[in-house]
Amino acid sequence: MSYRFKYLAALLSLLLASASVARERIILLNEGNWQADNGRITYFEDGAVVSNQWFRDVNGMKLGDTPEDIIQINDNLIAISVNWSNIVQFITPEGKAVAATEDVPNNRKLASDGDYVYISSYGHECGIGGGFMEFTKGFVAKIDVSTFKVVAACEVGWEPEGIALYNGHLFVANTGGYAFQEAHDYETTVSIIDAATMRVVRNVDTGQINLYGKMSQSGKYLCINSPGDYYDIQAATIVFDCDKALGGAPDEECFVKLEYAATYNCVTPDGRFYAIGSRYSYYTSEYEFNYITIDPAEVMESEGASGIVEEFPGTVLQDIRRMSMPYGIYVNPYTGYIYATDAGSFAEAGALYQWSPEGRLLGKHKVYINPAHFLALKPDVSSGLDETIVQEKEDTRLFNLQGMPVTRPRKGEVYISRGKKFIYR
Amino acid sequence: MLEMKTTSLRLSGILACVSAALGLSVCHASASALEADSVIGLGEVLVTAAPRKLATVQSLQGAELQSLSTTSIADALKYFAGVQIKDYGGLGGLKTVNVRSLGAQHVGVYIDGIRITNAQNGTVDLGKFSLSTLESVSLYNANKLDDCQSASEYASGATVYMHTRRPARDSLSLAARWASFHTYMGRANAQFCRGGWSGFIDGEYLNSKGDYPFRYHSEYEDTVGRRRNSDIEYGRVEAALFKGGFASHIYYYQSERGCPGGIVRRLSDKYTNVGREWDRDCFVQASYIHSFSKFFQVKANTKYAHEYLRYCTDYPENQNTARVDNHYRQHDGYASLSAAYRPAGWLSVSAGYDVRMSWLDADLKRFCPVRRTDQKAVLAAQLNYRSLRLAASMLYQHYKDRTRLKAGAAEPLSRFTPSVSAGLALGPLTLRAWYKKIFRAPTLNDLYYTQTGNRNLKPEYTRQLDFGVEYGLVSRRWVASVQADVYVNRIEDRIVCLPLKGTYTWSMMNYGETFCRGLNVNASGRYMAGPWSFSLLTSLTWQRDLNRTDPENEDTYNKPICYSPTLSAGITAIAAWKGFSLTVSELYVGERMWSYADPEDVLKPYNNVDLKLSAEFWKSLVSLEVNDLLDVQYEHIPRYPMPGRNFRLTLAYTF
Repeated sequence: MSYRFKYLAALLSLLLASASVARERIILLNEGNWQADNGRITYFEDGAVVSNQWFRDVNGMKLGDTPEDIIQINDNLIAISVNWSNIVQFITPEGKAVAATEDVPNNRKLASDGDYVYISSYGHECGIGGGFMEFTKGFVAKIDVSTFKVVAACEVGWEPEGIALYNGHLFVANTGGYAFQEAHDYETTVSIIDAATMRVVRNVDTGQINLYGKMSQSGKYLCINSPGDYYDIQAATIVFDCDKALGGAPDEECFVKLEYAATYNCVTPDGRFYAIGSRYSYYTSEYEFNYITIDPAEVMESEGASGIVEEFPGTVLQDIRRMSMPYGIYVNPYTGYIYATDAGSFAEAGALYQWSPEGRLLGKHKVYINPAHFLALKPDVSSGLDETIVQEKEDTRLFNLQGMPVTRPRKGEVYISRGKKFIYR
Repeated sequence: MLEMKTTSLRLSGILACVSAALGLSVCHASASALEADSVIGLGEVLVTAAPRKLATVQSLQGAELQSLSTTSIADALKYFAGVQIKDYGGLGGLKTVNVRSLGAQHVGVYIDGIRITNAQNGTVDLGKFSLSTLESVSLYNANKLDDCQSASEYASGATVYMHTRRPARDSLSLAARWASFHTYMGRANAQFCRGGWSGFIDGEYLNSKGDYPFRYHSEYEDTVGRRRNSDIEYGRVEAALFKGGFASHIYYYQSERGCPGGIVRRLSDKYTNVGREWDRDCFVQASYIHSFSKFFQVKANTKYAHEYLRYCTDYPENQNTARVDNHYRQHDGYASLSAAYRPAGWLSVSAGYDVRMSWLDADLKRFCPVRRTDQKAVLAAQLNYRSLRLAASMLYQHYKDRTRLKAGAAEPLSRFTPSVSAGLALGPLTLRAWYKKIFRAPTLNDLYYTQTGNRNLKPEYTRQLDFGVEYGLVSRRWVASVQADVYVNRIEDRIVCLPLKGTYTWSMMNYGETFCRGLNVNASGRYMAGPWSFSLLTSLTWQRDLNRTDPENEDTYNKPICYSPTLSAGITAIAAWKGFSLTVSELYVGERMWSYADPEDVLKPYNNVDLKLSAEFWKSLVSLEVNDLLDVQYEHIPRYPMPGRNFRLTLAYTF
């Protein structure tokens, strides 16, 4: 073998090796049609759809009916709430099903601290310890991912939806969304639960009904949508400050209400929120669309007077305006790439749009029916970090693998302290 | 996605179907020995003198109707060309009929010339009507074109006529049936005929668990199970009284049934999506037709109907939906007057006026009673000159709603719609052509239902054009006919329930346009030799039903409408000897797509073979049916499996 040939081969293998390193890795849940058992997962990697039936490809079985939320628990585990199937499905980042439970029926949204998954549910019973716990209203369940069993659950308001974990506490947006059919009113509160004890420590009344839909978290700030009741009460967005609520501030100081809808929203790597929404009234059958970027710190400080701009980077806004039915928006927290979906007319394949962080449209991809919920996987590089910053100051804080602060570490678990993983003993 | 719309979705429904076929177009009524309830020894009665129909019609009557493996009207209609039955499976499943892809709400269903209405959702659940009291079932595309029709008979895209049998003698008969899936039925019929009056009382009770097995088998799924919450229990009592031009009918139906959901992935049987429904329907109707002279005829119809529906989802095994327990009540009063005048043998003119008052109340939130006044007037003319027949009609409809709902009532709706038909008889051959434009008004659900109703809806228009040819042969031993129709229809401003852009909610909207071309063919023949008789009934539907909604959308534009098969066909063979008969029917329904998203989103084609053997002796009748003989697993709607092979044994005795 000539020297030149060896050199070429080495170059080629290097090229192949670098080509197999994916930076953009997105899991997208397609809700499918209600009661048609056609919820599907799209796996998207570096500008191309790898599969629109990823779960089935990997596991040889179907995911179920109407997947509703997806979250990364730790490096090895992802949870998916499959609403109409009453299943919380656990998969690895490679898509392999590892466990599933139906102990949390009518499950909605997910949060996690790496050891536990917290699930909001519209249901009224929860399988726990071989028996069942009954609830009048809705509840939040806590699943231990070492056993995939529910270890605790607590009642919150009617039809609790969005859930976020901050500083050892769960923030749960109550909707009362069945109020138009059931004999109770809409809810207006955010319930705060101590995640360790699973007890409600406080309910913050936002004065705005039906805190329904996607909820995004940016550190201590939450972006909560309220569609109103579609009759007399208009849609609104609640920007919520978890620190203030935990610090005991009066209810009205914990949030700012904005006269916009945030039907679909997400958080950006720099801590702002993107929101798309519309305000609709059955009286007039009229729409009022809005597309906004929210700077939560500025909104809280100015009490809503500033911190909102009606723009997105590059061509994102004009591309979304052209969609027939925007159905989800997301920014990859690792890379800043922007994504949004168009559900079309709900009978054909939806579309996934991808933009660069600057908002240059990179592509439009055919996915499946009602593409709605995203999760970015860590880029496939050794650390995923281009540079490390060494903190000079003595820092005794502990973080879980999600980067969330942990106040009560458990023995034998892996945590991060001063940028390094270690096992707590 | 939201699952809050259980009730409204269930009530408004998705388009769905199965198509099938078979039909007789030549009128040969026969009251031969095979009727389930009346063991009358009448011979063949051939009504060959009836004028050849100008309309496109398919009928099943008398012995043929009873020879089919049928228990409900829906089962009989599936043998007609151009018909798709929408059926969510289960024994209590809602069954509606869709003709030539117009949609169930464009099909009017009539009992003895008076329409069965449902102001709430505009569809008729055909499962509520029994074949046992019927003489014939006919399907007319466009108009029936008789003299002296009521205005409402002109007001739908296609019409199904159920014609009640007039008893010819006194009798009392009892029947019992055992069938698969824990189904038990009992029926009693008493009828009389004396002094020009005739009438009957007919009562039926059925109880079924409906727990049929199903299986989904593919490379990524092997689901076996039994259908749950698919039970039904109903009682039906009806009575009719006739004398000459007077006909009256009283009907009461009460049921409780489970409304099962789609079969989706579950880890166990713990949770089922339970909805249960209770119905109480009753109506009383009367009609009188009187001929004052050879030239002048008048008909009056009147009807009162009350419908009660309760829908409940408040069960512990149903954790997925809002816990509702809603009650809906409808009252409906109707009267019509029509007159026909025949100034010359070749011309007849008729006029009709109908008024209907509907009242709907429901204990839904944000709902209060709605009242609708619906008036119709028609002017029609028919011309019969030698071998040429022409018919034309103009229909005027006016709808006005009143309600105290805050959103207010919809604007009153007034529209004129025409139809024309022409026919040419050339010996045994008839050529025909017709055009009809008609709309369906938005129903009260469409307009006012809480959180989906949209009072700004426009009517949904259909335009149909049809060219047909028919050939009939009648000889001493043969009765045969062939008819073929090619048609084009367009639907505009379809009324559909769609999610609202940028919200989490749904609303009724005018969205969509379809363009459909099709061919319906029926061929039937009957051969009689001494005690033997053989019938063969066939039908075929070829249809290209295209989505013409959004020219910008290449995934959907000019693509077939979901659930619409391109090809479907039916064939039924009946062999009869004295009191014995054997019927074999086969129904083929081609592939139907149910979404545009993936080529694998299709409902597979299926073949259904049904068998019925019946024997009659000593005033008794025994019949054994095997439905879906080959145990084919099929669906009309994805994840709503239909029952596979099942058996029915019926015993009847007549005093």
